[in-house]
Amino acid sequence: MTGTENTGTGTPERNPGELSGAYALNALEARERAAFEAHLESSEEARIEAAELSDTAVALGLATAPVQPSAALKASLMAKLSSTPQLAPLAGPASTPAADAAPASPRLAAVPPVPPSAQATPVVSADPSAAGTGAGSSSGTSAAERARKRWFQRPASLLLAAAAAVALFVGGTFVGLGLAGPSGTSDSFAAQQAASLAQLNAAPDVQRASATTADGHAATLVWSDTSSLSALVVDGLPALSGDQDYQLWYIGAGGAVSAGLLDTSVSANGGTAWRVLDGSLTAGDTIGMTVEPKGGSKQPTTAPIVAIQSS
Amino acid sequence: MAPRVLGLVKRLLVDHAQSEEVTQEIFLEIWQSATRYEPARGGASTWIMTMAHRRAVDRIRSSQAGRDRDTKIGIRDLAVAYDDVSETVETRIEHERVEKAMSRLTELQRQAISLAYYGGFSQSEVAAQLHIPLGTVKTRLRDGLIRLRDELGVAS
Repeated sequence: MTGTENTGTGTPERNPGELSGAYALNALEARERAAFEAHLESSEEARIEAAELSDTAVALGLATAPVQPSAALKASLMAKLSSTPQLAPLAGPASTPAADAAPASPRLAAVPPVPPSAQATPVVSADPSAAGTGAGSSSGTSAAERARKRWFQRPASLLLAAAAAVALFVGGTFVGLGLAGPSGTSDSFAAQQAASLAQLNAAPDVQRASATTADGHAATLVWSDTSSLSALVVDGLPALSGDQDYQLWYIGAGGAVSAGLLDTSVSANGGTAWRVLDGSLTAGDTIGMTVEPKGGSKQPTTAPIVAIQSS
Repeated sequence: MAPRVLGLVKRLLVDHAQSEEVTQEIFLEIWQSATRYEPARGGASTWIMTMAHRRAVDRIRSSQAGRDRDTKIGIRDLAVAYDDVSETVETRIEHERVEKAMSRLTELQRQAISLAYYGGFSQSEVAAQLHIPLGTVKTRLRDGLIRLRDELGVAS
């Protein structure tokens, strides 16, 4: 199946084509893998077979039982994301955002295509550090700080990419950002929310506290005193009947002030609902969530199903 | 995606704490390279699961933990294990589809593929475990996967 002669020398490379199965299953040692990848360079047929067998292996992976990550893992990861710079997008003809219009699976939308704004400033693909948006694996406080600053300076589409990666981890789909959701949320609202979430996660004093809602769903309040931003993240929050909405509140000494509604279009399917709160958080505020008549109320009309203090 | 990644990683590494650690590394890598993801090539879940399997295998091969794990697992039953915890309709259907396709393989192909994919063993280790020549393992892995590909209707 390959043009290589079987010389009978006993070297593993004598018929590299037969390694396609082991390659797809990650059953090759480093040296064997390098040899096989060199073979792939030279054969279109081999590349197709390798790709198909790799996709087949993925089906094996998707057939294993899912295991819920601990809350500690989620919190730890979100904390790390804020100081980990993303790599610069590759500037190449391969990626056309428009080609992404018909995703093979709903989850495809969870990872963003190369944003057009990034393509406007092409970067050298082999050298991530040459780009303004990523510092590769460079380390040290100053690098982390630069990364943090850059985060604020990124165009909205990159902020969306960042927020999408977070959404991908905490639960689910890009719909969680309201971008493609049936909920009628506008793109600009979603972009604003995503940018705020990214800014919040990048804040040097970002903190988190968790609680469980009355019906047993994990809720996390993420906040930063310096930025006055906060967000509530709830796993698997069920949808309400059509004439009701979840509403968020700042609850302080002076009573309750509305902080906006929480959309459940994703969380009802096991995903994660989140919302960056309207208004400003004051240190010590308690954030609560109630069920209100559609469109929300001026003041809460029911008892909160969850309340978390930003101590 | 996180529960699926952790599910796969834990299948290979067994140890929960270590699996969470590797899962975190995988998602950091996804985060870092999300801007380079090319949607043309498979879906996002394909990309993520491929990376997850490779990182789990890397961990097994690079650590003493991998060696310890070998002795713990031995040649245990590596059929597609599935607990009825936190299942969704989607994963249940996927599981049944794969199980059915696996049943079309010869016992020897199934054994070799399970050891390699779910056990994280290299082809040489599979050969040693099954006491068969390396060339036979290569053939079983390739023929078995091609059969699975056809049964599952995977095409690029």
